[in-house]
Amino acid sequence: MPRTNFTALAAMAALAAGGVSLPGGAARAQDQDCQHPIGAVLSLSGSMAAIGSAIGDAGELAVEHMNAAGGLLGCEADYRLRDDQGQPSVGVDAAQSLVEVEGAEILLGAIQSGVSMPILSSVTVPNEVTQISCCSSAPSFTELAREGGTDGYWFRTLPTVRPQGFVMADLANERGYERTAVIYVNSDYGLSLARAFEEGIEAQGGSVTDMVPYNQEQASYRAEVSQALRGDPDSLFLVAFPADGATAMREWISLGGPQNLLLSNALRAEEFVSAVGAQYLTDAVGIDNAQVEGPSVEAFNQSWEERYGEPPAGPGLHTMYDAAAVGLLAAQAAGEYDGTAIRDAVREITGPGGEVIHPGPEGFARAHEVLAEGGDISYVGATGPIVFDEFGDVTGPYLIWGVGEDGALTEVETWQVERVNELMAATGG
Amino acid sequence: MLQALADGLLTGSIYALGAIGLTLTMGILRFANFAHAEMMTWGAYMALGVLTLFSLPTAPLGPLTFGWPLILATVIAAGLTVVLALIVDRFVFGKLRGKVGHLTLVFASFGVALLIRNLINLIFGGRAQYYTSELQIAVPVAPGLRIMPDQVVVFATAIALVIAVHLFLQNTRLGLAMRAVSESPPLAQVNGISLARVVRWTWIVGGALAAVAGVLYGVSVQLRPELGFHLLLPLFAAAIAGGVGNVIGAVLGGFLIGLIESVSVLVIPAGYKLAIPFLVLLAVLYFRPTGIFAGTTGGK
Repeated sequence: MPRTNFTALAAMAALAAGGVSLPGGAARAQDQDCQHPIGAVLSLSGSMAAIGSAIGDAGELAVEHMNAAGGLLGCEADYRLRDDQGQPSVGVDAAQSLVEVEGAEILLGAIQSGVSMPILSSVTVPNEVTQISCCSSAPSFTELAREGGTDGYWFRTLPTVRPQGFVMADLANERGYERTAVIYVNSDYGLSLARAFEEGIEAQGGSVTDMVPYNQEQASYRAEVSQALRGDPDSLFLVAFPADGATAMREWISLGGPQNLLLSNALRAEEFVSAVGAQYLTDAVGIDNAQVEGPSVEAFNQSWEERYGEPPAGPGLHTMYDAAAVGLLAAQAAGEYDGTAIRDAVREITGPGGEVIHPGPEGFARAHEVLAEGGDISYVGATGPIVFDEFGDVTGPYLIWGVGEDGALTEVETWQVERVNELMAATGG
Repeated sequence: MLQALADGLLTGSIYALGAIGLTLTMGILRFANFAHAEMMTWGAYMALGVLTLFSLPTAPLGPLTFGWPLILATVIAAGLTVVLALIVDRFVFGKLRGKVGHLTLVFASFGVALLIRNLINLIFGGRAQYYTSELQIAVPVAPGLRIMPDQVVVFATAIALVIAVHLFLQNTRLGLAMRAVSESPPLAQVNGISLARVVRWTWIVGGALAAVAGVLYGVSVQLRPELGFHLLLPLFAAAIAGGVGNVIGAVLGGFLIGLIESVSVLVIPAGYKLAIPFLVLLAVLYFRPTGIFAGTTGGK
């Protein structure tokens, strides 16, 4: 029984951490003999095991905070974590038992897109259960949502690369580039960023002359660069990783490509700049994820440290906490523990407009009060403000960077989430 | 189209240089030497090492990005590559030759390849490096055709070496001996040809050509420890397409692969370019298992 093991482990961990008494201890003792199961399917073993159990802890922390704040809809939220072993078939079985046998109406997970997808299509959508993932970043979910395949039951708290493409398209437009060629790394990431850029460019009235994919680890990209140059572009959007990106960029400049350059996030590296030569990159502009800061992030970091005795370092912790918190608050706002009602409430409790709620028992307690009074809440979580678009994706703040004459990486400006969302709304993203 | 042809010829000339050495070792030593491509890497890095070690001035020659120091470094690198080839033969292939099956030699060459690549990785690090940080801007020579001065030199050097090797094999006694061994080792020995000498010279010629090919590749692209490894497939495809042991065939095979790779991008997405040498190889093996140019005059 994985659950028993996990609970035992968690209990031991709590004891080991110095017998931290749960803030919810008192609340739990109240007459809460009913339970609402909160399902979670994560990779506790397998290739993602190294990060999986900590991500599980992040989900548990949110549930603990909710219980400490008074529970969920008058009952206790019961966190039920299952291992998918990194395998889709195991993950689907686990999700099936959580949803069909135990009656979970919220399913958190999975980590890998390859596991989340079959759970979504064969468990949560057919059973009308809201699924929120902390970590699956594949663009195929957006595609599926666009085609109506998710029925809106899919959300994720990890920003996809899609908004980056739109922001870059806006920069291209702002700088007066009209014909941009795109060279992108031939992967899910590269393709989706390139496509988003193309969409954004077209919405802004510009055009993309050529979209050229390249395979990683090639010694030369002359053929790709020649192909990109065919349409006589006035600028280039390069979606690449530093080493290959430098190769392609050198060949682009060598072959006489214009030095109006737009660069993807991974190229924000000294290695890239020094290999290409800073003198060619002074007109370049790039994008990267900006570090989110603010009281809501601090609130999460602090309560994590109190609970687990160390700062929250590692991927997926902030996003998992938010995934769980969004599910719980949506259920509370919906007034009933039902997947469809939760789905419909998710956008009510996020986004601007209501009273701002931060992570932690105090924040959730305040959420209970406001909701009980019939007010609106706006959850600002461990990853900052959260706005789900119509496909269940979120955006993040971005940093625009450039290269100085001396080769140093400079920060040009920061795009806050609000500005990104405005742009996305204006250009149909 | 014009640009694709020019690019294809340039890449093809480097493939051709590498494939000559490969086809010679395959024909004369009678095994597929997977370590051959690593000798290109070795040669390229040795030249870089010489340049850095003696911190030679990188005074460029005319419009080129390199000058006499690199040419000197290339000669030294060729020597060092020959030394490496002879050492490897002395301690690995020589010990196995005649005692074990063909496959064992192939696996041994795999081991040698790994060893060389990781040795380079250890000494020079894994990141991409260049002989010079100067970037050369291509000159438009015709509508839709841009060529860099370096490319012209690389191409000319490759062609000159190919001709030199051809003349060497056709007109010298040693060349004759090498061709004889390639044809039939027992018959050659019966006629008083020293097998050891021919083997030694095969390594010398193959190693030196590999080193030059590596440097030319480094000049026109970049230096990476995986340089040779990524060239392995095109080289084998060129050598096999040309008919194993056939030097002219290997050269034509090299150009063929280079051109097809480059032109194919006009038709298929660039992402599938990698598959082209495979397809050529499959097609050749299916229709003409002995190679397209087998039977023509050349090294065979």
